[in-house]
Amino acid sequence: MTSLDHGKFTRVTTTFHSLLGLDVFILFFTGYSLTFNDELWWMLSLLGGPQSVTALHRAAGFGLIALIGFWMTLMITTDTGRSNFREIIPSPKDFVAFIQDVQFALGRADERHPNAKQFAGGDPDEIPLLSYIGKGVVFIFAAELFLLTVSGLLIWSKTGLMQYFGTKTAAMGFVVFHGLLGVVMLMGVMLHIFEHGLHPAFYPVEPKAYIPRELIPETHADGGIEDLTLSPSWRAVSSVMGILTVVGITSVMIGSIFDEGYPVPREISIGGGPENLLLTIGINAGIFVLFVGLVLSMYGNLLRVRWERRLEKERQQPTAADGGQPDDD
Amino acid sequence: MSYQDDLPETSGYSKVSVIFSAIAGLALAVGSVWWAAGTAVFYEGLFRVNPTVAGGGIGTDWVVGNTVPWLDFLVALIHAVDVLMGVFILLMVFIHWAAFRRLATRMKQPGERTAEAVATDGGETDD
Repeated sequence: MTSLDHGKFTRVTTTFHSLLGLDVFILFFTGYSLTFNDELWWMLSLLGGPQSVTALHRAAGFGLIALIGFWMTLMITTDTGRSNFREIIPSPKDFVAFIQDVQFALGRADERHPNAKQFAGGDPDEIPLLSYIGKGVVFIFAAELFLLTVSGLLIWSKTGLMQYFGTKTAAMGFVVFHGLLGVVMLMGVMLHIFEHGLHPAFYPVEPKAYIPRELIPETHADGGIEDLTLSPSWRAVSSVMGILTVVGITSVMIGSIFDEGYPVPREISIGGGPENLLLTIGINAGIFVLFVGLVLSMYGNLLRVRWERRLEKERQQPTAADGGQPDDD
Repeated sequence: MSYQDDLPETSGYSKVSVIFSAIAGLALAVGSVWWAAGTAVFYEGLFRVNPTVAGGGIGTDWVVGNTVPWLDFLVALIHAVDVLMGVFILLMVFIHWAAFRRLATRMKQPGERTAEAVATDGGETDD
């Protein structure tokens, strides 16, 4: 038995998720090395300076629009897409799951609500396609990506905006709006990485998003979470990553308050530097969490390749009836 | 029982609809970027040619000013959204962190000797 648990995503979805993640990471690394350039000056230089960074950001932006257009068309035109969409609409159960999760965290409930569970154990029907937080992530990220795309397209040609509004600062206003808008997504992605990278049953990455459901045997997981062995490094790594995630989210939130730029101030204000050492460390901690997310996404794809090879090998030789290795038990 | 029989029959997306959607996505991207790039004004044309405020001539920038009230409001609004969502996301991190710690105590601890060891990464067990 493995802790693959139950596959819920199709191959197209897993591929889309990886590509979208990669694209959004590039947008974050390029965009926030500009917004938070006082704190991430090294990233700006590493990516080739402002001109290179804006070019990369636009290229990734083009990719994002293509991915969004692809996904919307696929969801609207196919039966699978439409039926999955019905499954991810938030229901009152999701609110109950949220309340119960708070109680579970405080020790006042014995179990997480099915709509909050990431690990199902033996019963795949017990948990829905997405947990309440998964649904929240889909809707909040979708709204964010839509608004970011629209505002991004508006600032694509700044001279156009300047002429339309009759003032240069309007272009700056939209740039600031675009950067501040992305902060919600930046913080949300850090939560997303923590949530799916550090669940004790799946650590270091939840394979649901990488191994398509067509490749996961229905009968492979019979036990509950008590049957799994905790990884020796989980306790230390989850504590470090938890602290980095909290520090990262708090820092980009504080940074977003100070990184203004509209209306354009009379005097140039230079932030960051030694007087803002804590914020610099904090924002870099957040960027580190994103980098971990990028690595975990690659690792998830590596797991898929390994799993496919294993199934391939089993196809060639007689297998145990439960779909596991003949010498498993 | 072959390994294929054990794998579930799942509904997926047909090749045709994937290719169709990919083309639609690319068309949308090309179209929108085309539009966005097309709104650019050659810099010599900016605040220069037409000698009136309405026409965007020199000095228009000064007359219109440094702020656009509704844009100022939008930036303030998004500041508030950042802080509110930030606090909420932090709450969700703490809830998950606490829940994960509780779940971890239910699992077999690393030192425990058991008959069947389980690889947590979905890989092979090394027994």
